[in-house]
Amino acid sequence: MAQQIIFFVLAAIIAIFSILAVTAKQIIRSATYLLFVLLATAGLYLLLGYNYLFAVQIAVYAGGVMVLFIFAILLTNRPGENVKTELPVRRVAAGLTALAGLAFCGHIIYWNIKRVGDLVAQSDITPQQLGHSMLGTDKYQYLLPFETISILLLACIVGAIMIARKR
Amino acid sequence: MSSVSQYFSGLFTGIKSLMLGMSVTWKELWTKKVTQQYPENRGTLVISDRFRAELTMPHDENNEHACTACGICQMNCPNGTITVNSKMIETEDGKKKKILDTYQWDLGMCTFCNLCVLTCPSDAIKFENTFENAVFTRSKLMQQLNHEGSKLREKKKEPLIPKGE
Amino acid sequence: MVLNYSQPLEISNLTSWLDSTLRGNLSEFWALLIEFVLVAVVLLTAYAVIALILIYAERKITAFFQARYGPNRVGKWGLLQSVADMVKILLKEIVRINRSDRFLFFAAPFFMIIASMLTFGAIAFGKGLHAIDFNIGVLYVTAVSSLGIIGVLLAGWSSNNKYSMIGAMRSGAQFVSYELSAGFALMTIVVLAGTMQFSTMIEGQRYCWNIFNGHISSIIAFVIYLISGHAETNRGPFDLPEAESELTAGYHTEYSGLQFGFYYLAEYLNMFIIASIATTVFLGGYMPIQVHGWDGFNQIMAYIPTYVWFFGKTAVLIFLSLWVRWSFPRLRIDQLLNLEWKYLLPINLVNLLLMVILVLTGFTLTGLFPGLF
Repeated sequence: MAQQIIFFVLAAIIAIFSILAVTAKQIIRSATYLLFVLLATAGLYLLLGYNYLFAVQIAVYAGGVMVLFIFAILLTNRPGENVKTELPVRRVAAGLTALAGLAFCGHIIYWNIKRVGDLVAQSDITPQQLGHSMLGTDKYQYLLPFETISILLLACIVGAIMIARKR
Repeated sequence: MSSVSQYFSGLFTGIKSLMLGMSVTWKELWTKKVTQQYPENRGTLVISDRFRAELTMPHDENNEHACTACGICQMNCPNGTITVNSKMIETEDGKKKKILDTYQWDLGMCTFCNLCVLTCPSDAIKFENTFENAVFTRSKLMQQLNHEGSKLREKKKEPLIPKGE
Repeated sequence: MVLNYSQPLEISNLTSWLDSTLRGNLSEFWALLIEFVLVAVVLLTAYAVIALILIYAERKITAFFQARYGPNRVGKWGLLQSVADMVKILLKEIVRINRSDRFLFFAAPFFMIIASMLTFGAIAFGKGLHAIDFNIGVLYVTAVSSLGIIGVLLAGWSSNNKYSMIGAMRSGAQFVSYELSAGFALMTIVVLAGTMQFSTMIEGQRYCWNIFNGHISSIIAFVIYLISGHAETNRGPFDLPEAESELTAGYHTEYSGLQFGFYYLAEYLNMFIIASIATTVFLGGYMPIQVHGWDGFNQIMAYIPTYVWFFGKTAVLIFLSLWVRWSFPRLRIDQLLNLEWKYLLPINLVNLLLMVILVLTGFTLTGLFPGLF
């Protein structure tokens, strides 16, 4: 009962602020609305009992990515100005892209929704389990992707230094 | 010095100097407090003698002052704080003489520059360190320095303000 | 074992009695609802009261460091000074800024205060006085406290004031940098304790606090955590976001009244939160001083309520923070970033590795002397 109410509140927040994030005329407002969406998503994870995912969602998205977003927006030229409405052709193209994305996600959700019941058999994953599966080499353990991502990030850092150095 | 040893020596001297700074403030924490709690300590309050708070004209026991109403203090005052009003009287031996009528000083205008006291040829005025000058209306800042019925002291007596003060 | 000895002064006796009576007389839904509301009210009140006490203590101790008396006119020894300040701040007008972004301007202080309140909820004030106890407590604290910086950035931008903006950017750079060090220092201790849950972490420190257990590595982590925590709260030598001489008051220049009060409160509470997290993680939290084998001594120590231990240890750390604040001059921005990226972070990474080696080879105090600790 109480969980249902909280779920509906969170779902409403996610839906409303997602639309607002797209329709807002100022880019910084858009970022703020996106932040609310991410926080409400974290709330959903908390509701499901995924504490670890909740904390990671807040630390990475709300605390990390959004701070960098806002930082980047503040450094751009005139963040407070209203964004001009684009040409009709572009609007149509943007609409089509959005529809395609919706169709893609909808397809995945539609075909997987029956299997969700099987997947959420496990209640909460402790950090220990997560760490072991991240750094293990057995079946269903992910050392190789983990290391690949770290190499990718290293490449990003080196690239950033190369761009930042003025020589 | 190589950059590596520079890094580490910088780190350790930094830590050392931070600890030194903290030991200094730790000692400072226990020093005697220097705050003067003003209204409570009025009895024991020490104000420097040279503190210039209020212009006064010393009178002796016969209600006599040393001001000859020459007006030099008035001329030297940069702010026009002092007004010397004089009047002419006839002395017993028939001479005309200028004596002081009222000596007006405006505390509100004074910058306590001490020029009046320095230039006074007869050392008739001085600054006192009585600093509690707050009043409720501006008109009270206008003060008359010579007392009622006072007169010029005859010469040959000891000056009221000793030289060199 | 020793702590189960009856402790009449413990607040958890009261809370468990309240819980059982509520559950006895009401259905579970209503009992839980009433308990939630009560916990929220108590936490909010504690938030405000602790902030007032901290403001008073800070002003007094600051004065003592400068050979002054500090506030001593309002009430006995000036005890009511911060209450008077609070009333003043509540009565002040909230000024609306021309050409500012209204929505973001009014939303920004809430980010700050909500982030600090969410962190505040995760603190274990004593045995049984623990509102949130996730199995990922340490991660939760670092995650939630990182929300506050959004409030600072939005405040700086929406004020339509270049000083606020510069202050917010400085604060952002500082916070993002030092958050890293604080996280690594906490992670070092997570390696040692083997858990991220605050309650099990505190239970594990019954006979040997983490700062002694990991000796060299723990002490380095402790110092780094205190430095970076201090920097995160924009205080002391790290207060360039609010550098009065250059930026008036930094990101909260344009705020007045209660909105400024939010920032003020959050700043003081963040100091308390940093100190209490350090207490919980390094100094054994609410655990009394216990020595293996000295049963009489242990019982006497355990007779002192756990919340007294917690607040005592926290007060020591807060005093340390004030001491640092009034000892050192303000850093320049390049010195600040040098300190973080060239000193604290590399030392931290090496330290983390050292701690892993210590734990794996059993060179911790509990590993070396299993009987003693």
